[in-house]
Amino acid sequence: MPWAEKHRPKLFSELKGQEEAIRKIVDFTKNFNSEKSKKALLLHGAPGVGKTTLAYVLANELNFEIFELNASDFRSREKLNEILRPAIEQQSFSKKSKIILIDEVDGISAYNDFGGLPELIYLIKNTNYPIIITANQIWDRKFNDLRTNSEMVKMKDVDYKTIKSLLIDILRKEGKFIDEKTLTEIAVKSRGDIRAAINDIQTESGVKSEEKIPIAERNKETDIFNSLKVVFKGNPKNETLEVFDSVNMELDEIMLWIEKNIPSEYKGEELARAFDLLSRADVFKGRIYKQQYWRFLLYENIFLSYGISASKNPRRVQGNGFTTYKRPDRILKIWMNNKRTEKQKSIAKKYAKYTHIGEKRAMRDFPVIKVILKNPEAQKEIKLNEEEIEYLMK
Amino acid sequence: MAEGIWTEKYRPVSFLEVVGQEEIVKRVKALTNSMNIPHMLFAGPAGTGKSTLAFIVVRDLYGENWRENYLELNASDERGIQIVREKVKNFARTKSLGEVPFKVIFLDEADALTPEAQQALRRTMENYSSTCRFILSCNYSSKIIDPIQSRCAIFRFKLLEKKDVEKIINKIAENEKLNVKTEAINVLYEGCEGDCRKCINLLQATASVSPLISAELVSTILSSAKPKDIKIVLDYALAGEFESSREKLLDIMLKESISGQDVIKAIQKEIWALPVEPTIKVKLTEKTGEAEFRIVEGSDPFIQLQALLASFVLAGLGKE
Repeated sequence: MPWAEKHRPKLFSELKGQEEAIRKIVDFTKNFNSEKSKKALLLHGAPGVGKTTLAYVLANELNFEIFELNASDFRSREKLNEILRPAIEQQSFSKKSKIILIDEVDGISAYNDFGGLPELIYLIKNTNYPIIITANQIWDRKFNDLRTNSEMVKMKDVDYKTIKSLLIDILRKEGKFIDEKTLTEIAVKSRGDIRAAINDIQTESGVKSEEKIPIAERNKETDIFNSLKVVFKGNPKNETLEVFDSVNMELDEIMLWIEKNIPSEYKGEELARAFDLLSRADVFKGRIYKQQYWRFLLYENIFLSYGISASKNPRRVQGNGFTTYKRPDRILKIWMNNKRTEKQKSIAKKYAKYTHIGEKRAMRDFPVIKVILKNPEAQKEIKLNEEEIEYLMK
Repeated sequence: MAEGIWTEKYRPVSFLEVVGQEEIVKRVKALTNSMNIPHMLFAGPAGTGKSTLAFIVVRDLYGENWRENYLELNASDERGIQIVREKVKNFARTKSLGEVPFKVIFLDEADALTPEAQQALRRTMENYSSTCRFILSCNYSSKIIDPIQSRCAIFRFKLLEKKDVEKIINKIAENEKLNVKTEAINVLYEGCEGDCRKCINLLQATASVSPLISAELVSTILSSAKPKDIKIVLDYALAGEFESSREKLLDIMLKESISGQDVIKAIQKEIWALPVEPTIKVKLTEKTGEAEFRIVEGSDPFIQLQALLASFVLAGLGKE
């Protein structure tokens, strides 16, 4: 059995770095059949990033049955009808609810005599079950209708560090070993394609099966706590530059850890210096995003490691004391707040449409708008529902 | 007929009803009368009548049938230029009905589009120029790429003057049977900063409390709508309580959904009321400007704001 199949994740927690996509797909499934929701979700992203896997994990976690179709099923209408009719119309035998998965929709042709895509759109409009569609590339013109009829969710590209740690995990379970350098090479070469990387290590490990050094011993990962300690408590050394290389975490997340914990280690001038460097690192991060110029990552890393370490007063007596570092909670707070403000958003949206302004402006002016919308007449005009009115009145 | 929301109830529907912007109204009216408008760019601050004028043009051109011939989009709401193009395409595909040979697309807040997206928009404008006219609105015309500017007749909207605001308030007051004190008009005018929408909203919010509009009442409503807690954030920072300070800041930003740039604006104003030396005020203003600059360049405004708060901590220690 291919390792890629054998080690396919079963739980959301095993899908690293895809929290956003997970949240969206769960929301989609749960809100299915509510008035405004679309009936299909278009899951797109690079090959091997885990699109099909996410659909299966969703089914597993929510206890749904999956009914899978692929592009070749859309070649003949008879065949499609034969397969689909029972699936769409009947309750499934086991009384589980159902998800229809249409895998790799890229393969559907827009122009063959049968017209696979219009058939798919028809299916979406008439289904009683949530449809999940996976695709690599969705910006092709032929998918215009499909895009408007589905909710689009992008799966993030997976970085090589995440892939590497996944590979190490699999090797550990298989009791196989591949040296660090080869492993890094495979992870980098895969360019985010997890499936390809797993296939590679399966091949690679078959070749060198005589080497049997357990991976665990070789695994010198320092965790985030240790590396924060090196930065905050140690003297800046050249090795400090590499302190985050071995942390199994993306630099963005490391940045949040640093942000959270600077005040517990630095005060006054040290605090200001450290935050100034964090701020500079963020400026470079912004430039990377905007210009896609990845060499700037170098500066980001230097400021975050050596820079923050060197922010402390050199004459200060090095405390070797123990600090419990706190977990960053800002993202969680933002997420929780978004949940809280959902009502406000939906009200602002209706108000914005009615008064010809942008939704963002309506959100900004909400304190005043709120007062105006206590008027029942105004509520009726912009068609608020009961829940929204209740939110305004409390 | 809209009754419950005054910004809609009192939105002018003909050129005659527009208050202020006399020059622009005159020119746009002449263009509309000729039944052949060019692409137009309405530039100017919020609440000065850009959407309203676009709407009047459309009503004037198509009369009863305006709905079929008018598409209104807001660039800051649409997720990406792809969606905008898609909607434009669907709308522009059919020819206009009636005697006017084109349809009108109003794209609000066009300066929210990135330069790349604007390039794509430019091509869209060209592709459909035989069947559609675009009216773009923006706050700053400098944020609109040159090729688009050169294809449009540009109209620059000014902030409403006091006499205009007064005229609008009086009209509403008469209709709604409000008693607006003269000082209240002053407070309304100052509070709305030349933004007509803001002014009417403020008036309606005040009127929902009492039909007697006094200066005090307007001030109360006005201050409840401002992020006044920024002062507390700065007080914490100056007292060296960095962590309380940033926590409070995050709290405010989330609860009131204000952006990093809005916070910077509030901080910049607040500096002058702080109990610190004049030299430090200047220094802090410089830091604030730098933070604003870095917010524009960087990726995470909250990190920049924390760095700024750390400077305030230093100022509190008398070290900066």
